Amino acid sequence: MNLVEKILARASGRPSVEPGEIVVAKVDRLIMHDLSGYLTSQVFEKRVNTPIPDPTRVVMVFDHHYSPPTEQQANVLQHNRKWAAKHGITLHDCGNGNLHHAAVRNGHIKPGMIVVGSDSHTPVHGTLGALAVALGNDSHAGTVLPYGKAWFKVPATVRVHLEGTPNPGVTPRDVALWLVGRIGEGELNYRAVEFAGPYVRELSFWDRWLFPLLCVDLGAKCSFVEPDEVTEAFVRTLPGGAAPELLVRGDGDEAEQVLRFDVGEVEPQVACPPTVGNVKPVREVAGTPIQHAELGGHGGGRLEDFRAAAEVLAGRTVHPGVRFNLVPSSREVFAEAAREGLVLALHEAGATWFPPSTGSNQAYNMGALASDEAMISTHARNFPGRNGSPDASMYLASAATVAASAVAGVITRADDERGNA
Amino acid sequence: MRFEGRCWRFGDNIPTDRLVKTQHVLEPMDVIVQHVLEDLNPDFPKLVRPGDIVFAGKHFGQSSGRAIAAKALQATRIGCVVAETFARTFYRNCFEIGLPALEIGINPDLAADGDRVRADLASGEFTNLTTGRTARGAAADPFLVDMLDAGGLIDLAKSRPEVFR
Repeated sequence: MNLVEKILARASGRPSVEPGEIVVAKVDRLIMHDLSGYLTSQVFEKRVNTPIPDPTRVVMVFDHHYSPPTEQQANVLQHNRKWAAKHGITLHDCGNGNLHHAAVRNGHIKPGMIVVGSDSHTPVHGTLGALAVALGNDSHAGTVLPYGKAWFKVPATVRVHLEGTPNPGVTPRDVALWLVGRIGEGELNYRAVEFAGPYVRELSFWDRWLFPLLCVDLGAKCSFVEPDEVTEAFVRTLPGGAAPELLVRGDGDEAEQVLRFDVGEVEPQVACPPTVGNVKPVREVAGTPIQHAELGGHGGGRLEDFRAAAEVLAGRTVHPGVRFNLVPSSREVFAEAAREGLVLALHEAGATWFPPSTGSNQAYNMGALASDEAMISTHARNFPGRNGSPDASMYLASAATVAASAVAGVITRADDERGNA
Repeated sequence: MRFEGRCWRFGDNIPTDRLVKTQHVLEPMDVIVQHVLEDLNPDFPKLVRPGDIVFAGKHFGQSSGRAIAAKALQATRIGCVVAETFARTFYRNCFEIGLPALEIGINPDLAADGDRVRADLASGEFTNLTTGRTARGAAADPFLVDMLDAGGLIDLAKSRPEVFR
């Protein structure tokens, strides 16, 4: 069995499981943000409303809001706080960062766990060697909260094997975006996706994070990187430390299919409107005007992103026609950015810091666009209608490309921007 | 489980954000339902009738895992939703809330707006009664059919708690 199969077998009390089987398995963590928590609590209260036997498994992070701009939104947060307090659910209130980053940074996610949530990027926790799956509100309300369990169909696994050496200026996010374009949206529907190969092995934990993050756009159910010494070293830095008894590794070659890619072919990439799969080399859309740039979102707002931006902005300033917004993914990232001098450097270059949150994700607290505006960001989604006008344009790229575009006022490769200076 | 009705055709890769736009997520369902898919077909929320069938392309319902998108489509009182392929959270949510869903594989020109169509979840068969063309998808898993019969996952868990204890 591989990691996914082993975790599902253990959590469903079976000696083994096979792809296609439906099992009912014990869930270790339910993670929700302010919107999914609200919707789940409403279904739970109206239709289930039992005690929650083990509320320590349930975590809510307010990340779409850092400070509610309307009474309606304030009411949503207040409702969530009362619901969490009533049941003993762990709550990280406004300002604690993005759901997935805050869940990891606060020690809620460990290798070998089954993690569920409504947020579609929940599978990102496969980076730690957890089995992490997005389920809907009715699963949470109907089975996860009252019984601590959920139903799962055991997925077949596709291994994405990445090898080769990236060209200078090509970052892991470029490789991740390129893969979505190469494999295609929805093409790995219902599969588990393992990211493997020498390229993946050499990445740091937070660079690996960008790969399981994208699996939802391929249609996958979940994704993982086989835990290794990078995973173990990272987990030791988290509150609660390592949980070696939870560490699960696969037995070998249990993949239905292996897709091999040479990352040496990749150049800087950008996902263009209207979907995440519309990926092009940056040079094909270079010169497109943008008015907003942002480092933030489920895959952005990492320390690595702010370092990359500071490098691009060294000796330069943000274009006067661009608002360049910086949204740390967690309080820990903001603290580290401050210690490294990135906070002041990027502030003085003309960028604006926002509270740790999920930033412009769906524009609940920031980032709505007028119909003739465009944004380039490290966010994970660019569907029309998510951020203000459905006619606005959203581009997704690496932190280096976002920063270079913020300087130029048009979509630009970071190496071209350096050449122009 | 057989459904027959008037077809509404939608394209590929339609995200939940177009079923329920961001600005409506926190609104009551009677408001949300007036805007379902309106950016893609303004007539749909105005003219959809009970028993109609939505037929979409590839990877329908991608993006958010929140069940509210499937619930909004259910609130239009369509009979069932058919797609070439579904995003998996959307497919799961359909059964969990009691909205029948049939996946038929890639068949781009099988039906157009206004065609009379029939979907059979038990056999996986989809028939365009206007043109006579047919396609056969995978029959729904028996566990999912039980879920639909129960009225959705919450009702299933209430009537058969031993499954989840």
